[in-house]
Amino acid sequence: MADNPAAFPDAAPEVPDASSVERAFLRRPSIGIRARLALGFLSFIVFAVAVTVGAWIMLSRLERRLRFLEVADRYTMEIQQARRFEKNYFLYGGNLQDVQEHIANARRLLVAVAPDAAEVVASAELGKMRDHLGRYETLIARLVARDGAHASADRAERPAIEAELRDHGSQMVAFALELAEKERASVNATLALFKRLPVAFLAFLLMFSVVVANFLARQIVGPLSRLMATTQRIAGGDFTPLMPLRWYRDEFSTFSVALNTMMRELARRQEVLVQSHKLSAIGTLTSGVAHELNNPINNITLTAEMLKEDYGSLADEERLDMVNDLVVQGARAQKIVRNLLDFAREGEITTERLDLVEVLRQAASLAANQIKLSGAKIAIDVPSNLPAIHGDRQSLSQVFVNLLLNALDAVGKGGHVSIAAGTSREPGYVQVVVSDDGRGIPAHVLPKVFDPFFTTKSRGKGTGLGLSVSLGIVRQHGGDIRVESAPGRGSTFTVLLPAAMVPGLTENDAQATRPSASKPSRPV
Amino acid sequence: MQERLQVLVLDDEPIVGKRLQPALAKVGCDVEVFDAPGPALQRVAAKRFDIVVTDIRMEDIDGIEVLEDVLERWPTTKVIMITGYATVEVAREAMAKGAFDFIAKPFKPQELRDVIARAAEALGFAGIERAAADDPA
Repeated sequence: MADNPAAFPDAAPEVPDASSVERAFLRRPSIGIRARLALGFLSFIVFAVAVTVGAWIMLSRLERRLRFLEVADRYTMEIQQARRFEKNYFLYGGNLQDVQEHIANARRLLVAVAPDAAEVVASAELGKMRDHLGRYETLIARLVARDGAHASADRAERPAIEAELRDHGSQMVAFALELAEKERASVNATLALFKRLPVAFLAFLLMFSVVVANFLARQIVGPLSRLMATTQRIAGGDFTPLMPLRWYRDEFSTFSVALNTMMRELARRQEVLVQSHKLSAIGTLTSGVAHELNNPINNITLTAEMLKEDYGSLADEERLDMVNDLVVQGARAQKIVRNLLDFAREGEITTERLDLVEVLRQAASLAANQIKLSGAKIAIDVPSNLPAIHGDRQSLSQVFVNLLLNALDAVGKGGHVSIAAGTSREPGYVQVVVSDDGRGIPAHVLPKVFDPFFTTKSRGKGTGLGLSVSLGIVRQHGGDIRVESAPGRGSTFTVLLPAAMVPGLTENDAQATRPSASKPSRPV
Repeated sequence: MQERLQVLVLDDEPIVGKRLQPALAKVGCDVEVFDAPGPALQRVAAKRFDIVVTDIRMEDIDGIEVLEDVLERWPTTKVIMITGYATVEVAREAMAKGAFDFIAKPFKPQELRDVIARAAEALGFAGIERAAADDPA
């Protein structure tokens, strides 16, 4: 707790209004953790759907390719058949009908396959193929026509047609084979791709999962650790509300709002504790005050009674002396009561420039009667040139009254209590040391003395709130209380308060120049 | 003519002595007044008083010590305690240690005179109370 900077709120922290913080939380668009988780899983689903659709498309394309390949093979076969019949015709003089039939088949196949073939071969090549086929068909038709009209046949024409037929025929076969070959290569490439695809998919899925899991974890762990730090800060007494850090809100924002509400309640309860402890301190002080008050009242009673009794027989100056005594004792009573009433008044906490000497003097005079009653000796050593501080007079005087009353309780009759003020070794701090030579605090109890409701006094004598409330007040002022004690050797409580820097500086200026690296820490 | 009652009044409030002196003198007491225990105890060492009236709560030496000191020296002296506020413990302690009675602040002169009258009666003096009531001066 000691190195927790949140335990030292600024002397006058700019505490934002809790309800405005809550509004700031609620103004943000809501993106819940549930939504983010759903989003994460949705991205997985979308990815899987995309992969499935892609695979389906590719598979159906492959199916079409295979069908095309089949057709291309059949086409090649038809062409080859046609050429075989053509060769027979030239060698043995068969008929050309078979050639024509196969060519017609090939043409049908070519027309049917044309849309798919465009994917595999350029349309120019396809056109060339169609030209070859057309030309071959024409030449075959001319041969058929020539065979039909024997007489007018020109003998020389036949070899020319044959050569041309051979040329176109071989080109057609070459084209068809090339087409099939290309298509086969393409199908094989696609198949190879399909083989690699699951591996790539798996690798990507792995990476994607890591990224998504990491993202979701950060989204949850980050706010959680912030909330954890906040609870530690609350334990240290810092009730500054949580501010929204993100542009959206989620379940953690709701939690933060709840935490802010809790802190507001705690702060309110702290105030109630301060007030209720003050009442108990007033109770203690009242007995002393009542005792002290009896003296002037007794003086007044005696004087008034005697004045009444002897009025006629007294000399004028004696009567005047008695009346003067009445006036003086009346004023004395008033002063005793006013001091306590000042302390008891439930005032607003106002931060003002304070002379610590004056605060200490006020506290000492409040406890004066207790000091007198307890029979302890008190030594006050407060230099008059102490730096001023900023704070609430009433709260601080409550702190010093608490420490004084505790010390008086610890020493009992004949003990010694000392109050010494001065600049602290912590730069920028003023310290007030209240020490006693009383019974001291055992080491195992020492860490608990600032806990609320912790008391070593018998039931009904102490509320156990004095030190807890005092520490709360001093921390609100940006200071700290340290305790050193050993059983039998008395206790020393050191109150550290930030000094107001230069006269005339505003609070913010003073804070800006306050060294932050040397904030005091509590040894307990 | 009766012997006058020897009374010592000790209270650290000077006004108490200042007012009680004439109040008790009127009823036939010789009153010596002190506002500090030290000189008062010195005086007690030197002179026997019939009655000692002392405050309990004082700066250096408290009234219980004065009571003990007086009774040790003059066991027959009646000691009347004045308390700031009467608490049972303080009263019990004072009575246990031999105080004649105690009176709580604030008190009227007559209340103290009544206690002193009773103490005087216990000592064998008579007429203090009556003297207070009868004496028109």
